[in-house]
Amino acid sequence: MFERLEILAIARDLAVHAGARQTVTAENVANADTPGYRARDLPDFSEIYRSGKMETSLRQTRASHMDLASRGMVAFAEDTDGAASPNGNTVSLESELVRAADIRSQHNRALSVYGASLDMIRAAIGRSR
Amino acid sequence: MADFSTSRAIAASGMAAQAERLRFLSENISNADTPGYRRKTASFQEVLDAGQSTGKVQIGPVELDQAALERVYDPSHPLAGDDGYYDGSNVNLVVEIADAREAQRSYEANLRVFDQARQMSRSLFDLLRR
Repeated sequence: MFERLEILAIARDLAVHAGARQTVTAENVANADTPGYRARDLPDFSEIYRSGKMETSLRQTRASHMDLASRGMVAFAEDTDGAASPNGNTVSLESELVRAADIRSQHNRALSVYGASLDMIRAAIGRSR
Repeated sequence: MADFSTSRAIAASGMAAQAERLRFLSENISNADTPGYRRKTASFQEVLDAGQSTGKVQIGPVELDQAALERVYDPSHPLAGDDGYYDGSNVNLVVEIADAREAQRSYEANLRVFDQARQMSRSLFDLLRR
């Protein structure tokens, strides 16, 4: 019964997704003034989770290949469609900060679920706090 | 976990680039009255590692604005020519101030992202403390 707790696995994946998305948002904000830069974003967690991409991330089969695996889920980022400024940059600082707030709440949600599940397990073995 | 240190490093590269941009702006502003001074401009570019995007940003090579220098009429000036004009700088203070405001806005956005990554990794560590 406790070999693989599905709820812990999902909460972990949700937190990993939030972390990867935070990295993509950091890239967008850092490049907010880079000419020709296209803003990127990760697909929603539900989309990635259903498509089974969590398990099949890009792997390096030869040492000479590009190391995309170390970028983790960040490699799934896609261009967002937004209005480009005259220098071809499509980053909007406002939408990036809104996205950052979303990521924050997603990450909090994942950690709360994870922590509450751990509390339940502790209670089950008679060590509730 | 590596994600948060990456995103902090990226936000820090953004802050460093904006700060460098602000330095060029202050050089331009302080030389607004220097005869013959051409304003410095620098563009941002992505940092590439073995041809692959790292998401970090850096400031590109400095270029001098080739716009015409302002002709100032002052026959008593030591640099004035026969017609009483000398070449001033091509710095436009309004442009520089507007640019500085944009740099500040972007710097603050990077700072917010940095702070958020820090808080998220801290709340991750709080799980261990329960």
